Amino acid sequence: MPEFEERDLVERAKQDPDAFGVLYDRYFPQIYRFAYSRVRDQSLAEDVTSEVFFKALRNIKRYTYSGHPFSSWLYQITLNAVADHYRGLHGEVDLEEGASLPSTAPAVVDEVVRRDRSRRIWAAIDQLPRQQRAAMVLKFNEDRKIEEIAHILGKSSGAVKLLLHRGVERLRKELPQLEAELT
Amino acid sequence: MMNDPELEELFSDPADRAVVDLLKTSRPAAPPLDPHFHNYLRARLMTEARRTLAARASHGWFPFSLSLKTLAPAMAAVAAGFLVVVGVEIYLHGQTGGPQVACDCAGLTNKTNVGTGEPIVIPFTGPVDKTAVAESVVIEPATSVTKQWVGQNLVIIPDHPLAPNTSYSVTFKPLAKPTPTPAPNPLVRQTPTPAPSPVVVHFTTVRPPVTPIVPPSYKSASVAYGYDSRLADSGTILSATWTPAGQILATRPAGQHGPGSPSATASTTPSPTPAGPPALTATTDVWLMSSLGTPIRILVPGGSLPAAAPSGGLIAAWQIAAGNQANLGVWDLQGVLQATLVTLSGVPDRAPVWIGQDRIAYVAQGRLHVVDLRGTQASGIALGVQQGRLAASPTSPRLAVEGTDGSVVLDLGTTGSTRLLTTGASGFAWSSKGDLAFFVPQRASTDLYVGDGQSFQKVATSPVGQSWSDLSWGPDATSLLLATTATNGSGVGPSLLLVNRDGTNPTAFGPPSTEYASPQWSPSGDLVLFTRRDEAGGRAFWTATATPSANDSAANQALAEVAKFMLARINGDGAAAQAELDDAGLAAYQAGASSLLGPAGSHFSRYYPVTVQPSGSKPNAFLVGVRIFSGKNGVDMSFFEEQLTVVALSQQLSPAPQAQRYLIDAVSASPAMLLGHGPTVVSVEVVQTPPGQQVRVHFDADLKPETVSSDTIQVKDADGRVVDAHVSFDADNHLATIAVKLRPGTYQLVVTTSVTDINGNAVAQEYDAPLVIGR
Repeated sequence: MPEFEERDLVERAKQDPDAFGVLYDRYFPQIYRFAYSRVRDQSLAEDVTSEVFFKALRNIKRYTYSGHPFSSWLYQITLNAVADHYRGLHGEVDLEEGASLPSTAPAVVDEVVRRDRSRRIWAAIDQLPRQQRAAMVLKFNEDRKIEEIAHILGKSSGAVKLLLHRGVERLRKELPQLEAELT
Repeated sequence: MMNDPELEELFSDPADRAVVDLLKTSRPAAPPLDPHFHNYLRARLMTEARRTLAARASHGWFPFSLSLKTLAPAMAAVAAGFLVVVGVEIYLHGQTGGPQVACDCAGLTNKTNVGTGEPIVIPFTGPVDKTAVAESVVIEPATSVTKQWVGQNLVIIPDHPLAPNTSYSVTFKPLAKPTPTPAPNPLVRQTPTPAPSPVVVHFTTVRPPVTPIVPPSYKSASVAYGYDSRLADSGTILSATWTPAGQILATRPAGQHGPGSPSATASTTPSPTPAGPPALTATTDVWLMSSLGTPIRILVPGGSLPAAAPSGGLIAAWQIAAGNQANLGVWDLQGVLQATLVTLSGVPDRAPVWIGQDRIAYVAQGRLHVVDLRGTQASGIALGVQQGRLAASPTSPRLAVEGTDGSVVLDLGTTGSTRLLTTGASGFAWSSKGDLAFFVPQRASTDLYVGDGQSFQKVATSPVGQSWSDLSWGPDATSLLLATTATNGSGVGPSLLLVNRDGTNPTAFGPPSTEYASPQWSPSGDLVLFTRRDEAGGRAFWTATATPSANDSAANQALAEVAKFMLARINGDGAAAQAELDDAGLAAYQAGASSLLGPAGSHFSRYYPVTVQPSGSKPNAFLVGVRIFSGKNGVDMSFFEEQLTVVALSQQLSPAPQAQRYLIDAVSASPAMLLGHGPTVVSVEVVQTPPGQQVRVHFDADLKPETVSSDTIQVKDADGRVVDAHVSFDADNHLATIAVKLRPGTYQLVVTTSVTDINGNAVAQEYDAPLVIGR
């Protein structure tokens, strides 16, 4: 959708329920997919997705265009909703440097023995620290620009590049079998 | 590293690049998704949005300005905006007369844009007797459905798409009444317990973005790329094609979630399951999906590469069989196998092609084959085909074939002739009017040819360095969509182009990109299905809305005038309505030809145009048929139709008809018809199918096929004589098609009261509509 059309649609959605419905239809798949990539549980992903869109509805009148796609705002809400969920479970855990979020994904060692290369490497991404994982998912699964990821994560572009670099490096180191296969 | 300069810049180490390349080419599996969750959440959100956004909005109920340019699209909002949303508190009795359970129907009640191909989701706030509730559902107009429970949501899946522009009611009949407690004293008279009332939820289906009207009011050449939406993650739909009813036939990897899939576990109400278990080695299934990408049902387990019959009721597809064989079968849209026609070694790599309603072409072992629905192979066809394309005309038994010895058009009718096409002809596409378009690749460009199947001419050539492919005709046959690709690898230029039939006015369709390909116009012209490549090289199917130009024709200008007139009438503004009448029109209303503001005690609630036709007698004059609804409490109670003659102020043909002012000059009205008393006609369409015409009559209900015949639906000439006609019926689309050969003039369509729905309810009153056949 061209930027000007999206901005027009968002402005209409501030007053027009049907326009909000169009936004919902457009962004539901990627927000649900992103939510699922963070929580790895269908029911939780549904809860997070619901929360994201209800929060967006409640706050859309305050949304102002910042030079980034509307989806950036939704991704931000999603990240906050996921963080809120885990705070609720575990208290104020240090998500920034925490080892990794609870995941139902199989351990990397188990995954490596499986033949599916895609599943292996994405399971490995599930084990990355939170910010690295978010940056990796946004870049490699959601095809976001680095500047947009920086906006979503509230970091500088340089910091996002560092996260991506560290993420890729860590994948290389933590997946020796995969690395051997690749190089 | 594919097309991502950011990653190119960030990762220079080959080992890092290898990991990045792997990441970019190996997306995670699509997350599991309850196919009804999207609709369920949408319903809740829209309820909340209407409560919060609409209440705070500063504008009135009608969100559009009344400029002429916006009137045409605003008509839909007029129709929608007047349905009053009422709060709904619906309670059903529990199994034993215990606490009542609420049906949270606010998201559906009086909704006015319910999709015709979407499941209807009704959430409940507490436990209910699911079997009893499901059995209590009655839908009017009569509609056969499959019911499933997903958690506390009752999901009602129409067996066929709902009719557009139609008010539906979903009625929950009262369940078991609480058992009356025996009176402790027989002398004390007990107050009778009032019988519970049926619970009724009303909603209205969407209006097709392109009104079913006679061209030239709708011009596909004038549409613009609107909003796009991804049907599903890349890799989860392998092929997709439209059905004539605007749903999508898709080949999906086996194991996808959706109603009827082996992984669906939430249903407690038995539902029809597709025929037969999948073959052991099946890797794909054929699914029916809505245009929003909602999986509706598996049609062919182990199937691939489906093709919809032109009538829409059947599909053909390949289904894997034991021993690395594949069957060519025919299924209905419930997934019931109708016939197995052919068994081949290996699975073909292309979809079969329907030739009319009763024959199918396919390629096997490098030869073209044609088989009828009894499995009888046509003889005398000796044509070698390797990778070439096949395409069948929708208007005649002709098949364009890219053969190994050249491209030809085979006439599979009585003549059996073969016409050799220009050397190199490929990429065939037939229009709804029987025109054939194809490409002829040149060294550095591509030529586009268009013709009537007999003679062809080159109408356009791509710019040097661009190659064209993937032709798709607009449903009105006035334009073509195609994909363009830079052959020099520069990736410059838009990738979808809209071109007029005569090759003029190539226009980018969609934002500049190199990611789009394989456009397919939906049958109603409102959506374009296409593929979009992501940076990882994956390919996902998307749809984009094709937004019609608001005032690209005189007919649309006339429609805009009618919209203004109707808006004033619905508003009860007599003065504004009269301002749209000329002297003759005003006199007609004053003489009682029709009621300007509605009969006493009711008001007009909504309307939609049914037909727009050149009047045939005056230049720049149109006959616009409108259906006008009267309602109470937000519920449509009855409707009648007006035939409005709309004329330009200047009777001279104008070089710029869109600049003309139109007024209503004459009116005739049908009697009022009560809704909820049998099936009704939703729309009438005349399609030129040389040498004759088809009159297509859409109904709102599932009909008894045996009641649709040339005795019950007729076309009469100006003298009242019944015209010879052949009537066919497509139950899946509630569509009766009358094939006739009419000379220019005015005729009358008559639908008698002998037509009945599946519940035996007859059309309440005879339905008449004028048909104007122009030159």
